Amino acid sequence: MFPRKTRRHLTRTFAAVVAATLLTLALLPAQAAAGLNIVATTSSLGVLAREIGADQAEVRVLAPPDRDAHYLDARPSFMAALRRADMLLELGAGLEEGWLPAAQRGANNRAINSGQPGHFRGADQVELRRSITMDGPNMGHVHAEGNPHFNSDPLRLAELALALGQRMGELRPEHADTFMERAEHTAERLRAHAEALAEQVAPDQRIVVYHEDLDYLEEWLPVEVVGYLEPAPGIPPTARHLRRLVGDLEGTEGTVLYAEFQPPRGAEFLERNLGWPTHAVPLDPPADAGLDGYLELMSTWAQTLPQR
Amino acid sequence: MPRTHYTRPVLAGLTALTLAAPGAAAAQWAAPGDDSAWDLDISLILEGVYFNELSEGISDPAGFDDGHDHGHSHGHDHGHDHGFDDGFNLGHSELVFEANLGDLFDGVVMIGFDEDHLEVEEAYLVTRGLPAGFQVKAGRFLSDIGYINSRHVHDWDFVDRPLVNEFLFGDHGLQETGVQATWVAPTETYTQLGIELLQGDNSFIPYEGAGGSHSRDGDTIHSSFSDVSGPRLITAFAKFGPDLGPDHAAQFGISGGYADTWQQQTEHGSGLEEWDGDAWFAGIDAVYKYSSGRAYGHGDWRLQGEYFYREVDLDYQRRQFDTNHERHGITGSGTSKQDGLYIQGVYGFAPRWEAGLRAEALGLTNRGRIERDGLDTTVPSFGTSYRHSAQVTFRPVEPVFLRAQLSQNDFIDDHGHRDRGLEFLLQLNVALGAHGAHRF
Repeated sequence: MFPRKTRRHLTRTFAAVVAATLLTLALLPAQAAAGLNIVATTSSLGVLAREIGADQAEVRVLAPPDRDAHYLDARPSFMAALRRADMLLELGAGLEEGWLPAAQRGANNRAINSGQPGHFRGADQVELRRSITMDGPNMGHVHAEGNPHFNSDPLRLAELALALGQRMGELRPEHADTFMERAEHTAERLRAHAEALAEQVAPDQRIVVYHEDLDYLEEWLPVEVVGYLEPAPGIPPTARHLRRLVGDLEGTEGTVLYAEFQPPRGAEFLERNLGWPTHAVPLDPPADAGLDGYLELMSTWAQTLPQR
Repeated sequence: MPRTHYTRPVLAGLTALTLAAPGAAAAQWAAPGDDSAWDLDISLILEGVYFNELSEGISDPAGFDDGHDHGHSHGHDHGHDHGFDDGFNLGHSELVFEANLGDLFDGVVMIGFDEDHLEVEEAYLVTRGLPAGFQVKAGRFLSDIGYINSRHVHDWDFVDRPLVNEFLFGDHGLQETGVQATWVAPTETYTQLGIELLQGDNSFIPYEGAGGSHSRDGDTIHSSFSDVSGPRLITAFAKFGPDLGPDHAAQFGISGGYADTWQQQTEHGSGLEEWDGDAWFAGIDAVYKYSSGRAYGHGDWRLQGEYFYREVDLDYQRRQFDTNHERHGITGSGTSKQDGLYIQGVYGFAPRWEAGLRAEALGLTNRGRIERDGLDTTVPSFGTSYRHSAQVTFRPVEPVFLRAQLSQNDFIDDHGHRDRGLEFLLQLNVALGAHGAHRF
């Protein structure tokens, strides 16, 4: 009565053919790349990879440096880049958690899975400062491992460079010595420049920052973070919070720093009411920057503060 | 019915590959730290919806009552398509468990619930360790056809599911048990190809199987359906995402599916009506996102649209009860052809605030299921239904949003009568716990 056997038969044949094709594709040898294909979430990490890898690495940075690396979309282009990567560098500790796991999952690339040598997570390599989100109320933006914004700390990046040099050497043993040499050189230059800048800045500076993304300046410059424009991480400044901040800081001297992508209104309020100078600064070097780009960024941060 | 089972060895092969390949990889590297350990993430998504029908229109669009209500295991027997009561509703809340076995598998269980129902929406394993860009997912999951089908309420830009997805694939979208294999090409432009072998028992393809019967006064009509073993539904999809630089991102998809079995019956006092056939669908989807680079989504754009078309090729027969066992009946064949589309845009008009518009059409082509017409059969033809929605969303903190939506239904009923209804919805959605990363 219902002559549909033929069609059913065809469906199953089709399924079998498609599955067989997929299996054949799976068995094709993967292209052996000469250099390391490295994908870095932020341009600060890209700097390290470029400096250490030089001609033996091709580096792609995902997060545009003028954007908040917390809030990105897991774009198809990210997944395409990760699909071809030998190595993924991330800061970790929750900074990229809103998008990177989805991009990793969509990339179908075993090499950059968490736990694989091709996955390099900065937060595993350095000791993190405590995050203010660990002590405040849970507002959905908690960095339980610590403050992940250590891209503003050249000393930790120097440590990271050494660990990265080692890891890249494990992936490409034939270049291990070269990578390690360059990593040491990179670490030296970062430390030397940090020391030089710290000596130029007038001592005992006080700063107010927007988010906890510039806290790590305390680690290498003679500064102390005395307040945040955000009432809680991820929540824009409120009038009440800003008035209280002004009340607390009345009569003192300092500088307000915020990222270029953050709204300037809170900083302007402090400038009007406290007379503190304000500066919008980049948090990361340009996407294609090498080490010089990062050293320049360090100078930019240091020069916002009164000099000796 | 004698049948050739090609799929069995295929499934077995895929499963074996899934299990074996990552195991070989895992031996190569023991990760430092503890990120390879058992790690269970739990998140809870709670939703509340206030619904108010400001003016009553036509509750169901014409031509879609067949697959939509029947064959649905836990029918939402509310008077209209949303399943919302006038007033307060718990909405659609979810409890999500995610765990991984090293970097071999991710396991996901998603339990959806409202006041009356608790349902395992998704429960699957997905490989993380296959070579050459392959991934296999097995279990119960939302099909990756189209764009919105695989997304949960928390990720939607409007309170309710688009009409085309709801009426072509069901209240939960195309949600099925089976196996999915995807491959991501090693290309500059993101290219994902996927295929799914699915059991095939849902609103899109109802299934009865053999052995049914309908009796009255000692007369029994035996169902003419045969058992058809799964998978009865096969789908395929392709997604492309070019690299458009730091400000723009887009993804384009095409998808389709074929179901070899479409069985439905209706029991009457006078006899039994049966529809038996097969069905296919095809569709396209596109998403574009603009990122302004400003804080809290201010100035961002999202545009999204989908079109789907389906055909159900049916043999119809109606058999009457008769105590003299002289069976009277009507038979016929006909093809149902239906489609629908939506397009929507959302703009971040202030930090943490966004507003959106959505326009939908259902049944631009609207040839319904074959039915009896006197002593003959006919394939009925219906008009097109429309819906227009506007929403404003506020996100006070990252995992919380409050959304107000106004929807105007401009539905046509089975008799060609058109009427407009206006609905207001207020939605509060909160994600608690280790809420996973969002897909594009």
